[in-house]
Amino acid sequence: MDAKLLINLLIFLPTVGAVACLIVPGARLVKTVAVATSGLVLLLSLMLFQNFAWWSGGDIFGPSYGEKLVGVTQIDWISLGSEPGAPAIQYFVGIDGLSFPLVILTTLVSFLACLASWNIEEWKNNRGIKGYFALFLLLETGMIGVFCALDFFLFYIFWEVMLLPMYFLIGVWGGPRKEYAAIKFFIYTLAGSVLMLVALVAFYFFAPAGHRTFDLVRMATDGAIQEAFASATFLGGLKFAHVMFVFLYIAFAVKVPVFPFHTWLPDAHVEAPTPISMILAGILLKMGAYGLFRISYPILPEAGQWAAYSLALLGVVNIIYGALCAMAQTDFKRLVAYSSISHMGYVLLGMAIMTPAGFQGAMFQVIAHGISSPMCFFLVGVIYDRAHHREINRFGGLWLTMPIYGSLATLGFFASLGLPGLCGFIGEFWVLIATFSAPFTWAKPMAIAAATGVVLTAGYILWMIQRVYLGKRREEYEHFPEATGREVFILTPFAVLALALGILPQHTLFNFMNGTLNQIVSLIQPGGPAATALSGAFGGG
Amino acid sequence: MILAVLEPWIPAGDDLRMFLPELALVGTIVAILIVPLATGRSARTSAGIALLGALATITLTVRTVAGPLAGAGYAGMSPAGEPPMLLADNFSVFFKLFLMGFLALIIGLWTLRPPSDRLSPEHAGVGPEFFVLLVTSALGMSLMTGTLNLLVMVIAIETASLPSYAIVGSDKRSRVGAEASLKYVLFGAATSSIMVYGLSLVYGAFGSLDIPTIAAKAVSSAAPGGWVPAVGFFAVLVGIAFKISAVPFHFWCPDVFEGAPIEVTTWLSVASKAAGLGLLLRIVYALSSAGGTAPWMAPVAYGIGGVAALTCTVGNLAALRQDAVKRILAYSSIAHAGYMMMAAAIFMQGGEAEYRNVGLAAVIAYLIVYLLMNLGAFGVTAMVSWRTGTDHISAFAGLGRRAPWLALPMAVCLFSLIGLPPLGGFAAKYWLLFALGKAAVAAQPWLWSLVVVAAINTAISLYYYVRIIRQMYIHEDARQPAVPAPLGGVILVNAAALALLLFGTVYFGRLNDYSTRYASNLVGAQATVPSAAAGPAPGVAAVTLGSSDAPR
Repeated sequence: MDAKLLINLLIFLPTVGAVACLIVPGARLVKTVAVATSGLVLLLSLMLFQNFAWWSGGDIFGPSYGEKLVGVTQIDWISLGSEPGAPAIQYFVGIDGLSFPLVILTTLVSFLACLASWNIEEWKNNRGIKGYFALFLLLETGMIGVFCALDFFLFYIFWEVMLLPMYFLIGVWGGPRKEYAAIKFFIYTLAGSVLMLVALVAFYFFAPAGHRTFDLVRMATDGAIQEAFASATFLGGLKFAHVMFVFLYIAFAVKVPVFPFHTWLPDAHVEAPTPISMILAGILLKMGAYGLFRISYPILPEAGQWAAYSLALLGVVNIIYGALCAMAQTDFKRLVAYSSISHMGYVLLGMAIMTPAGFQGAMFQVIAHGISSPMCFFLVGVIYDRAHHREINRFGGLWLTMPIYGSLATLGFFASLGLPGLCGFIGEFWVLIATFSAPFTWAKPMAIAAATGVVLTAGYILWMIQRVYLGKRREEYEHFPEATGREVFILTPFAVLALALGILPQHTLFNFMNGTLNQIVSLIQPGGPAATALSGAFGGG
Repeated sequence: MILAVLEPWIPAGDDLRMFLPELALVGTIVAILIVPLATGRSARTSAGIALLGALATITLTVRTVAGPLAGAGYAGMSPAGEPPMLLADNFSVFFKLFLMGFLALIIGLWTLRPPSDRLSPEHAGVGPEFFVLLVTSALGMSLMTGTLNLLVMVIAIETASLPSYAIVGSDKRSRVGAEASLKYVLFGAATSSIMVYGLSLVYGAFGSLDIPTIAAKAVSSAAPGGWVPAVGFFAVLVGIAFKISAVPFHFWCPDVFEGAPIEVTTWLSVASKAAGLGLLLRIVYALSSAGGTAPWMAPVAYGIGGVAALTCTVGNLAALRQDAVKRILAYSSIAHAGYMMMAAAIFMQGGEAEYRNVGLAAVIAYLIVYLLMNLGAFGVTAMVSWRTGTDHISAFAGLGRRAPWLALPMAVCLFSLIGLPPLGGFAAKYWLLFALGKAAVAAQPWLWSLVVVAAINTAISLYYYVRIIRQMYIHEDARQPAVPAPLGGVILVNAAALALLLFGTVYFGRLNDYSTRYASNLVGAQATVPSAAAGPAPGVAAVTLGSSDAPR
């Protein structure tokens, strides 16, 4: 199938499914429609591999950033002036090596999360099933749309469109403190994204007349726009690029989430139902990182360098702070939530380094975390369904009662821990190496500080495994049934991917995205050390 | 049908033709008063006449004003050689259509009251007075947006205000209503007197009541200096600020909105603010198109911008602490007035009509969307509070189950009021920020601060709007019974919600096209410098006003 049609189907098929969910009668049929829709979207997205077939030897990335986009649809949507040839807001979608892995991740996690919602009747929530699945599929449209949009305005629309379903999914189907968690999520995210709205308008008008556009690729590659952004001032002498970078950074940092904008995350995760936690951790957090990769760094490269120190420092704070917080938790789900904060710190650190290895490590960590964290949240959900509590200290010996589940759980948490041979390791290692060898003064202390995060991570995960899965068999959990077929089916793809990415990182991920990442790096440092020894050493394009 | 009846009565003179919509309203008022003498007091009859009057006015506006007169821009009602009293252009046509259309909707909303209600159509106590007052205030508002003469302005504002004071207290047995009405009168009287005082200062300084003449003089070499013009204009703006409830003249707003019958609240929340904004924009654009700047113009622009920023911030912050939905919506309307007022700070653009018009267009687009949002939100609140007897936020608990076809449009309207895509509220806000950005890049970089303020306010406002949504959908309250709603009302609010969805998606660009067209030929704004008034061309000639230097 044509890639152009494919991408539009990926974006809008879930919406069609959402409408279908509202129409069809009967709980079982609604669930079937939802699972079938997200399954079909997954299958369709897998067809995109034909366009990224690196093994065939072709050039899948093109000569420079934005030159070779896959499945581009570019139509004028809203005209911004009456004269002919006036700039317009475009419906402009397409993917490249940066968005391709994230699109696949989105469709995969959405499908598995949809499947994880199958037992919605058992949540003792008494709220409609139709609404849940309709909102779920609407959310999927928003998520895929964000990753495919290449027009800033369109990106913003999709970004905001995700908020409403997410608010209701947490607020209506969540746990005891769902109202608080939902509104907190909503306010934090909106507060960030209104600053993106300012940047959206400002980017358009600060471009010189005749070059004004919302096209994200053009903004990054048009010399006149770049020059204007670099020299402009904003609100009484501040550098335009710096102000915009900060605005965008806040918008994205809330999503990542970066300290000190992270406090919505533990609440949202703990209150959200399991599948929504999987979506939150697996995809929504990735959008912050994606936004930085897609918008902040290519369009405001100089500001990225200006902010590098602060961002790297915040990354390290995230790693250490998240790990320490995770260690202190007694609620199983909260522990996993804080571990997400810690792991996303590596993403920020790797990005801030702004070398090919740093970018590759950050992006690898994004995908790796997108695999391990939904798995962990689902693992927590499985025992929550049985025990109806999440107190780590009240568990014990679960491996003995549920051997298959226990084995998969250990694999999942080890992947999250960053055990060599599993996906978490590669991303963290890449980021640490990149940081250590980065060409600025405080790089080595930062790398060492970040590396202590690995130790802390090992600490809280092993301690948790010991308390929950190992130890003596406990009477009250004796009757727990083994993981059902559905649960194993959901966990298996995650487990397989965690292994595959850990053992064959080059073939399963790097080759799909390195080209684009290196193109972004060379936008940042034209003629600079774009191809450092590192990228050679690790085989990055 | 209406037109066929009216046709023989349409006069030939352009001045009279321009004034025809207002004459129709006056005729409606007379009819509402006289017909009961024959038929006996009946609220339904009065409402019917008022509705017919509003529709007739719309027809006349489209038929006689919109095309031939307003298309070219017409200024009239002036003694020979003197500046005009009234103007007709696309901008004033928009406001006439907007106000009359909304008037018709308000009358429709009133007919939905349940029979048991004191103000319901079936109740014996309700008579023609209510509709006379409502239509009179509409007449005043319609005049407000079609003049640049300071004296006509004052008359128009008073014509709009005095009946408003009375209809706020139209439920004569409601203590809250009476109190609200009194508060409104006192505030109105105080601000009116300040406005008239400012007007006398302006007249004293410039010797003219016509704003383009004043503007032309202000930028000429013989301009009166000192603080008098600035103080005078600030005082005139106070009167307008009262109408649009700008901070610090907003204190009447929540009390009046809470105390008044809900149709009146809805009417005031949209119409009164729209008329005030129309007038403000007219003055600002007449001043800023004078072809130069006077030293006091920059402070006036900063003042408007500052008040706008303050208005939306104060409105949003105050709304956070409210528990009555009518009060929440009252503060929300203050905040939205602040957003719209930001466009009036687009100033000092010299002759660049393109930049001035984006501000006008943005406000027009915003008003269209704002009308729909408020109609939906107040409409649902009305139907809920009529049935439950309260507009406390807890009355909305579980509405998603109790009345799904009220809760859904309410949620749409509230999300739209926040300004979330893909709804009309986002389109309105986007075009507003776009206009501010355009002007900021062209000449006024400080406008970026307004863009930032508007954006941050969006995030603040989220909380109180979502509180209502949370009540409707997230709070589980199984005890409360279903809320029956009249079918007409359900259709009304759902149509508003659907329109919001369309403006946020397929008509996103169309909204801007429409509003740009209505903002395109502002009479009075194109007035040139005094010397250019030599050749009197027909029609538009009266617009170039600066020729008579002698004070009248």
